[in-house]
Amino acid sequence: MISSDVITVFVSLFIGFIALGFYGKYWRKGDLNHVHEWALAGRKLGTTLVFFLIGADLYTAYSFVAIPSGMFAKGSLYFFAIPYVMMTFGVALVTMPRLWTLAREKGYVTASDFVKDRFGSTTLAVMIAITGIVAELPYIALQIVGMQAVLTVMLAGYANAQVAEEISLLIAFIVLAAFTYTSGLRGATLTAIFKDILIWVTVLVVIIAVPLSIGGFHQAFSHVKANYVTLSSSLAPAYMTLILGSALALYLYPHAINGVLSSESAQKLRKSTALLPLYGVGLAILALMGVLVFSVPGAMNFLSEFPESSRGILVVPSLILYTLPGWFSGIALLGIFVGGLVPAAIMAMAQANLLTRNIIKEFKPNITGRSEIRITKISSTVFKFIALGFVFLVPATYAISLQLLGGILIAQILPSVLFGLYVKSLKKTPLIIGLLAGIGSGIYMVESANNFGALTTSLFGTIFGPVYIAVISLAINLAITFAGSFATNRSHATRTN
Amino acid sequence: MQVKRRHVALALLILIPSCVNLIVPIYNKDSPELLGLPFFYWFQTLWLVASTGFYMIFARLKDKRL
Repeated sequence: MISSDVITVFVSLFIGFIALGFYGKYWRKGDLNHVHEWALAGRKLGTTLVFFLIGADLYTAYSFVAIPSGMFAKGSLYFFAIPYVMMTFGVALVTMPRLWTLAREKGYVTASDFVKDRFGSTTLAVMIAITGIVAELPYIALQIVGMQAVLTVMLAGYANAQVAEEISLLIAFIVLAAFTYTSGLRGATLTAIFKDILIWVTVLVVIIAVPLSIGGFHQAFSHVKANYVTLSSSLAPAYMTLILGSALALYLYPHAINGVLSSESAQKLRKSTALLPLYGVGLAILALMGVLVFSVPGAMNFLSEFPESSRGILVVPSLILYTLPGWFSGIALLGIFVGGLVPAAIMAMAQANLLTRNIIKEFKPNITGRSEIRITKISSTVFKFIALGFVFLVPATYAISLQLLGGILIAQILPSVLFGLYVKSLKKTPLIIGLLAGIGSGIYMVESANNFGALTTSLFGTIFGPVYIAVISLAINLAITFAGSFATNRSHATRTN
Repeated sequence: MQVKRRHVALALLILIPSCVNLIVPIYNKDSPELLGLPFFYWFQTLWLVASTGFYMIFARLKDKRL
């Protein structure tokens, strides 16, 4: 059982977090009855703020818990997250400033707004919005899984730990919903800075304290199996395609685009995006903890009290608890905990924008600005509680399975959103067919790779070895989109001649 | 010609970091170690820092003339 100072520090800092969230309403004041003021903080965030906001948005509680968890269970394969984040900022650097510029000119708030205007197709825009909402939901659920891991470790040994855990999560989400409702993205930005500072302090302390306590990295790596030191060469195709597929998909998630559009200028957006790989160093350090934990007997003993399948996600919280002083563990654990809340807020906000602007408004076009913002605020609250209910009702493994599927689905909007920015010849019908084919083939391959049972892998066995399914279905999608658009343009050209 | 050269430079600044990291055999080995870390780990982590340099130059070049 852990000492009460951990909990005291944790709770006091959490109160500070709440205060910042509510204060957001008064920070850089704007009329929060406008969607772009509430959801995009008035499109006025500079380089540093966008860095912190997108940093908090993309490096989430789940990544801080799940990547080390994967490393702990499967070894070096999960280190793909590091080159993946590096590459994703390259993709963003090329595409996002252009999307930003168009959005500023034409008032887009979502990717779906852009697609509707660019291709003049409501069907395609609605499909993109639905894909975004569906892919985002398990992502929010996984933030809660990450937060749960922190609470499980903190409350282990106390009476009624399970009940206390659920009540704490519920309180955290009520508070989050309340300040998101009143402060919008401003609240999320301020709390993002708070979260980032805590995470960085934690990472710096962890990278010094943990190797020292176990006698260095060399010591730790000489005690683990070969697949923790390097990658088995049969997994190279999997590693490569996981990097590629994830890097292409990340900036298609609604919450990432929401962060991008809150920037003040394309130039500032470029600068903060260029700096974001540095944030990945923190993720790399935490990923290594999935290997180092094997050399910390206290943490390994603690983990052995849990069923094998749930040990992984507890690695980082328990390592923090067993290698750092009590009061500091409180800071570090809160950092990870709010690392789940901040992105959950932005994700729900982005989903709500898609639902209101790109689905509800399509069917009820004469909604007033005032009711639009009200519906958006309410639905962002509802989405948060749907995710919370999901985590309470079904085992965590389902959320993880759905997240695997979500990554494959969101990649399929790439031709419309990213190629749509640059390639003039694309046509709406081939894009729709390509999207459907990508989603259909993706779901089929995931199901067949998992023998139509619980989803545990997103890799599909091919003649080259295991390959990330998102990449295969995206290739199918792109082939249809380009071939179809080419054929349409050809027949159109012959007709006009 | 000047414009074309600039485009090639911009493309390379984005493609080099990605290609190096996509070609897994380049770094899939355990030595040389750095501070006791296997090559596989420190090489990729160091590329996070290197890519920031590449991307910053990209951002600078892009802002200069448009």
